[in-house]
Amino acid sequence: MIPVSVITGFLGSGKTTLLRSVLRDPAYAGSAVIVNEWGDIGLDHELLETSEENLLGLANGCLCCATRGDLARTLIDLAARRRSGAVTYHRVLIETSGLADPAPILHTLLMDPSIAEDHRVEAVVTVVDALLGAETIARHPEAKQQAMLADRLLLSKTDLAPDTSALEGRLAALNPVAPILRAVQGVIPPDMLFASAARPETLQHWLEAIATPGARHSAGVETISILREEPLPAVVLPLFLEALAEHAGEKLLRMKGIIRVAEAPEKPAVLHGVRHVLHPIQWLEDWPSADRRSRLVLIGQGIPQWWPARLLEALEEEARA
Amino acid sequence: MNPPALRALLADSLTLWGVAGRVEIADDSIKIIAGEKVLHVTQAAPAEAPMRWWLISETRRRPAASMLGLLRSLRYALNATSAEPARARVAAPS
Repeated sequence: MIPVSVITGFLGSGKTTLLRSVLRDPAYAGSAVIVNEWGDIGLDHELLETSEENLLGLANGCLCCATRGDLARTLIDLAARRRSGAVTYHRVLIETSGLADPAPILHTLLMDPSIAEDHRVEAVVTVVDALLGAETIARHPEAKQQAMLADRLLLSKTDLAPDTSALEGRLAALNPVAPILRAVQGVIPPDMLFASAARPETLQHWLEAIATPGARHSAGVETISILREEPLPAVVLPLFLEALAEHAGEKLLRMKGIIRVAEAPEKPAVLHGVRHVLHPIQWLEDWPSADRRSRLVLIGQGIPQWWPARLLEALEEEARA
Repeated sequence: MNPPALRALLADSLTLWGVAGRVEIADDSIKIIAGEKVLHVTQAAPAEAPMRWWLISETRRRPAASMLGLLRSLRYALNATSAEPARARVAAPS
């Protein structure tokens, strides 16, 4: 399976600078790169030092809307060329346009069977300008959406903004499960950015973010956490996810969870979802820490604070009856 | 499920769906009042298994085998469904 990571961030946040830095790392130099630019004339791809055949530009439209079909076709075509030996790469990096909503892009990557056959989504990295990020998020819903859907948030241009505490607080309120990383002079070890969000070693941050159940609010965005001491009957999981998608799918931005299932309590189930689209449940061989409670984080807008927990309790009670 | 817990879940559901209304604990049901509509939710009797719930309006009684079904019926009864109901979609295994 070819890992695919998405680099997003508002206009001018430093996505291309980051990508250039990543591609200088020998482990990432052979990546296939798809650059989506807004406008008739693409420039960003001219700034990237990588082989011609591994670099594709998707100009004149935004990946999340106008050129989603192009993205699918590009990935499928690339994979076919890779199979035939015409190109060599071991991962795909997608740089979105500055105005892109990552959710439809993830939807395409996850739901198109022709893509999912060869690819797995690894991480969404959102680049945030340390100097202008707070104002940008306040003024542009696209920037807010990009921050909320990130697996990792990367502060760029930190040399221009010595104190980023207010911005970091704002980002943590919008997305408490994404670690906030800092590039030093535009450089950061790529493995810190693109390690799969579902790997046990990368679970710890968002597990820490849900140490206490309840909800946090930030300008219309709620982070709802659920903690369960008792293992959940397996049958509850699909019912809960179905209800969540059906009734809160439009309002649910992101969901992550680690669940202790009664039928296999030693092997936690990891849940990931974007809106009503769920990654396949991943079963870990062991718990990432001594804490073996089920923990679930929902990031959404307009979801009543206790609705998910009440629903879960109702379904669990039915399953145990 | 005890009546206060059921009332709280249904009241939250109304909020989630954007329905203005109230949910009350009545003598033998949970009563939902939304505009002109008055609905009652009761637990099914053990002999009615596998049905667990009844949603009762002036004109009909709808059974539900789970809370998932009850919420779906209630939402339809309140005309609170979205234009494109979302269904959980699971990505292909990788």
